[in-house]
Amino acid sequence: MSATITYVRTYLVRLLIIIGLVATLASYYFVSPQVDAVANELNIWNMNIMTFTLFVGIFTIFSRYIKSVMDRSKYWPYMLYGMVLIIVWIIFGTYTGIYSDIYQTAFLSTKITLHIAILGQLIFFMTSAAYRLFRIRTMRTAVFAICAMAIVACNAPWLLGPFPIVDKISFWLLDNPSMAGARALLLTGGIGGVVLGIRLLLGLEKGALRATEEV
Amino acid sequence: MAKIPELKAQYIWLVVLIVYIIPTLTPIGAPFEMSDITIEIYEFIDTLPEGSIVIIGGSYVFAFDLESSAALIACLRHMARKGLRVVNAPFAVEAVQFEKYCIDAARVDEKYGGPWKYGRDYVQLPYMPGAAAAYVAFLEDVHSAVATDVEGTPLSELPLMNDLRSWEDIDAWVCPHWSFDFVVRYATAERDIPSIYFAQAAAYAGYSPYMMAYPGKCWMTNGFLGGAQYEKLEGVPGLGHAVVDAYAIMSAVYIIFIVLGNITMFSRMGEEEEEI
Repeated sequence: MSATITYVRTYLVRLLIIIGLVATLASYYFVSPQVDAVANELNIWNMNIMTFTLFVGIFTIFSRYIKSVMDRSKYWPYMLYGMVLIIVWIIFGTYTGIYSDIYQTAFLSTKITLHIAILGQLIFFMTSAAYRLFRIRTMRTAVFAICAMAIVACNAPWLLGPFPIVDKISFWLLDNPSMAGARALLLTGGIGGVVLGIRLLLGLEKGALRATEEV
Repeated sequence: MAKIPELKAQYIWLVVLIVYIIPTLTPIGAPFEMSDITIEIYEFIDTLPEGSIVIIGGSYVFAFDLESSAALIACLRHMARKGLRVVNAPFAVEAVQFEKYCIDAARVDEKYGGPWKYGRDYVQLPYMPGAAAAYVAFLEDVHSAVATDVEGTPLSELPLMNDLRSWEDIDAWVCPHWSFDFVVRYATAERDIPSIYFAQAAAYAGYSPYMMAYPGKCWMTNGFLGGAQYEKLEGVPGLGHAVVDAYAIMSAVYIIFIVLGNITMFSRMGEEEEEI
């Protein structure tokens, strides 16, 4: 029975992918109000599905955390703390509205301040790591170290003033070698995505749909 | 050659901490060069006619986007002074809070004595999930993609939103969040809407080739430095100016430590050869 459900789910997902793919491609290549309307409708569906997944996420977190707290598994106090925070924020946001000044103040004073503090710590670790790792032992590490110094130097205000040419060097590096590498990654990723999509549609890639786990 | 001892990480952290604390306590007013691109952005905003609709939107987390706030706050003051109208379109959960933070910090709302009135001059939309699909849905039909503002007021009751139906009503898109690729792809490349990105320094390196790909249609400022440049143009020194001091010293300290690490390595290599 579970195998049948898995296959039904797999083919249903495949059908949805084909409808979405065809509608999007058609709206891109053909000028037709009807096709555009279908594509727009599908985009709205997509937004609704994403909204729904937010709720699913909350239920998933709670179902896992409650089990872990009941079993007193590792880190259960943090999970309990997380659940309490989620409930408090939902009630608080619903009651005051997320655009209210009080919600904004609470949000900035807790989550955002902590997150910024965590990001701010990175510069300490980056500097000590740069001291240890950017050591020119081989050609490869030389390229690595020179690139790192070039990027920092090209963004340094004290260098841009007396040497405006640095700005042009920076743009040349970003527009040519950097972009070439980035495009290569993007193109290979895109081709990989197309191949994965074809394999998914042909039923060769069942792992992504978790079909192999239950069969 | 004398053997240079390896520095402990804690000593490096202490130096970094001091480098941050000194300019915070006693601002040194480090000089910085004005960027031609920042000037172009400023002049582009200047050329927009009164009443033009500018979208401020994108998606990422608040803590990262804070780096964009320096330029955005100055730009909001600029747009308010010019009589432009703004619709904040968040495509990430925390973007609502970030956009509210910038509007409040810019003091452009009439409750702070500014010229903007909510609903008439600016509107805050709620989070629109769906990533790329949400961008396309929003651009194609705003009122289908989102029915109310962030506080639940129907869009039909907001005068500004009656003038914004689709991408054809948008004069420019300002992105103060990380996901500029979506904006370039769907707004600039496909629909010819000029786009401005107040980029985080880390994102700037990745996205700056878009300026070469879409000249005269796509501009970017670079991190807090770009923010300081926009603040200087608008004449409102703020977070950008405050950070540039630390930015300037830290960039030198970072390079010094890389050089020091290499000198240490070379000095110890000599010792190792002698030992062998």
